[in-house]
Amino acid sequence: MENTSYDIRQLNDKIHQASSFVDILNMEINKVIVGQKYMVERLMIGLLAQGHVLLEGVPGLAKTLSIKSLSSAINARFSRIQFTPDLLPADVVGTMIYNQQRNEFMVRKGPIFANFILADEINRAPAKVQSALLEAMQERQVTIGDTTFKLDEPFLVLATQNPIEQEGTYTLPEAQVDRFMLKVVIGYPTKEEERHIIRQNLQPEGQVKINPVVDPADILEARKLVRQVYMDEKIEQYIIDVVFATRNPEDYKLAKLKPLISYGGSPRASINLALASKAYAFMKRRGYVIPEDVRSVCFDVMRHRVGLTYEAEAENVTSENILSEILNAVEVP
Amino acid sequence: MKGIKNILVYTLLAGLFITGRAQAQEQPDTQYNDYFKVTARPDTTSIRIGEPVKIGITARVVIRSLKGANIKVVFPNLPDSLNHIEVVERSPLDTTGSTEDEKYWKQTLTVTSFDSGRWELAPMKFEVFSVSDGSYDSVFTDPIFIDVNTVAVDTTKAFKPIKPLRTVAWNILDYWPYLLPLLLVITLVVLYFAYWRKRKPKAAPAPAKPLKSPYETAMEQLQLLEKEKPWNTDVKLYYTQLTDVLRHYFEQQFHIAALEQTTAELLQNIKPVTVLNQQRDKLQHILTLADLAKFAKLQPAPHEHEDCLNKAIEVVEWTKRTAAAQTEQSLTGTNQ
Repeated sequence: MENTSYDIRQLNDKIHQASSFVDILNMEINKVIVGQKYMVERLMIGLLAQGHVLLEGVPGLAKTLSIKSLSSAINARFSRIQFTPDLLPADVVGTMIYNQQRNEFMVRKGPIFANFILADEINRAPAKVQSALLEAMQERQVTIGDTTFKLDEPFLVLATQNPIEQEGTYTLPEAQVDRFMLKVVIGYPTKEEERHIIRQNLQPEGQVKINPVVDPADILEARKLVRQVYMDEKIEQYIIDVVFATRNPEDYKLAKLKPLISYGGSPRASINLALASKAYAFMKRRGYVIPEDVRSVCFDVMRHRVGLTYEAEAENVTSENILSEILNAVEVP
Repeated sequence: MKGIKNILVYTLLAGLFITGRAQAQEQPDTQYNDYFKVTARPDTTSIRIGEPVKIGITARVVIRSLKGANIKVVFPNLPDSLNHIEVVERSPLDTTGSTEDEKYWKQTLTVTSFDSGRWELAPMKFEVFSVSDGSYDSVFTDPIFIDVNTVAVDTTKAFKPIKPLRTVAWNILDYWPYLLPLLLVITLVVLYFAYWRKRKPKAAPAPAKPLKSPYETAMEQLQLLEKEKPWNTDVKLYYTQLTDVLRHYFEQQFHIAALEQTTAELLQNIKPVTVLNQQRDKLQHILTLADLAKFAKLQPAPHEHEDCLNKAIEVVEWTKRTAAAQTEQSLTGTNQ
């Protein structure tokens, strides 16, 4: 027991030191991003937990600027793909081009070959293109012609989508959405934040430049540490209880939710909830996970993994409402 | 010889006369030919004004005489009003008296009269047609005389007073048109209530009153921890039990959903409860150390175990007065 305790303290110290770059990174990003701390924090969780992030929000909320700033601060390559209805899979992953001089086909890599990808308005492209991107996200490799290319690490896809009620959009299928570790819903900044945004954008010397403060290798090292963050079996049980409550709410005295849920969280939800909780604990400079970590990432990990029935939609019940009920009913260890 | 011949002739004539007379007396209202006989017989020939007279009219055809000819009989078609006589009702034709040898039709006419006197119902004409050869024959009934009398009034006597109303004996059957719907409604209401009582969920049994107050339970459990000193065997279990005792106490005593809240949430949510908020620092210390022991495998120093337990007892003791007041209030409310 003493040894274990010592290990945890050692790990805690190690993580305390290793996670110091999170604050530096945050400070650098906050030079240009006003407000949206929540979004930046979720981007960091995705980055550290090796999970992709789906952002939902209206245009103009600094989604592009955030990921661009993040890539600049990490000294990583950034590319943006604007998804449109006429986009082809080759426009994303790349294609073979015939070289007349050499009399051979050459590979032209697509914009997916970067560290940070902003897939803007992903639900404006047809399913064929969406699946090409999501396949690359899952496999972390792309095949063009006969050659398979591994994508560089860190590899993070930040996809944005407009609310599905808007016209001319192709809703992402449930199986595709499940591949995103987090789905973050972005709101408007506060009045004070908005005032800062105006002043910052209108200052005579122009936008502040982001300097690279973290090396991609640090991120890869941090990812290894994130996986080492200690998760007690009580926390594991809590995660399992939360995910199972989305599948069988009646077992948690939530029978009223049964007709509102068409399908609950998958095992991938449990994995991602655990991983995101560890990443959150790492960001809080802790070597162990506490229930607060699980609860703070639960909505972003689970909201796109709980299917709603027509009855729920008719009653304007959202997945957030259901998750709130579940978190208020499942006993915290 | 001539005398004998005369005697025989007279005897034969007398016989014929007597026979004919006898037949006429037997069937005074009957006319007939060889194969077709009709009758008209009233049930009475003397009535008071307005009383009905039923006249049975019959027609009888001997089939054997027809030799296979197909005939059709037409009954007399009387108007509704005759001479001082009114036809009230005509029954349908009854053929139940027919046999293999003869066909038989019967109809009953109900007539009356509202004029006093002796009135004649003229002979009624029955017609018979042969469908086979189109030949035609007719037979009449005898006339019927009906005496219509007025009510006899003895004018020599004085007027009698108007008779009082006669009380009719009460009979339940007289009221069935009213009683039946009423019974139906009562039955439906009874059935509805029976169904409603069956459907009505049984009232949940009142929760048994806890024998001990939340304060007593919490103190008892804390004292048990103090006595058993579980930190000597399993530190994690000890801190889990310790925080569970406090969380249960907060939930039962202050109605804070402490079991479903994290440490940070709980510390946030005790703010409105002044008596608990006053002990915030102690609680924070206990819960944070417990979290470390539960989730980070931390082994607190031996003196910290008892320190945490003492702090927990102090928190519960601090809230004793408020808890007692609340318990008393709830008991008073329950009794009222």
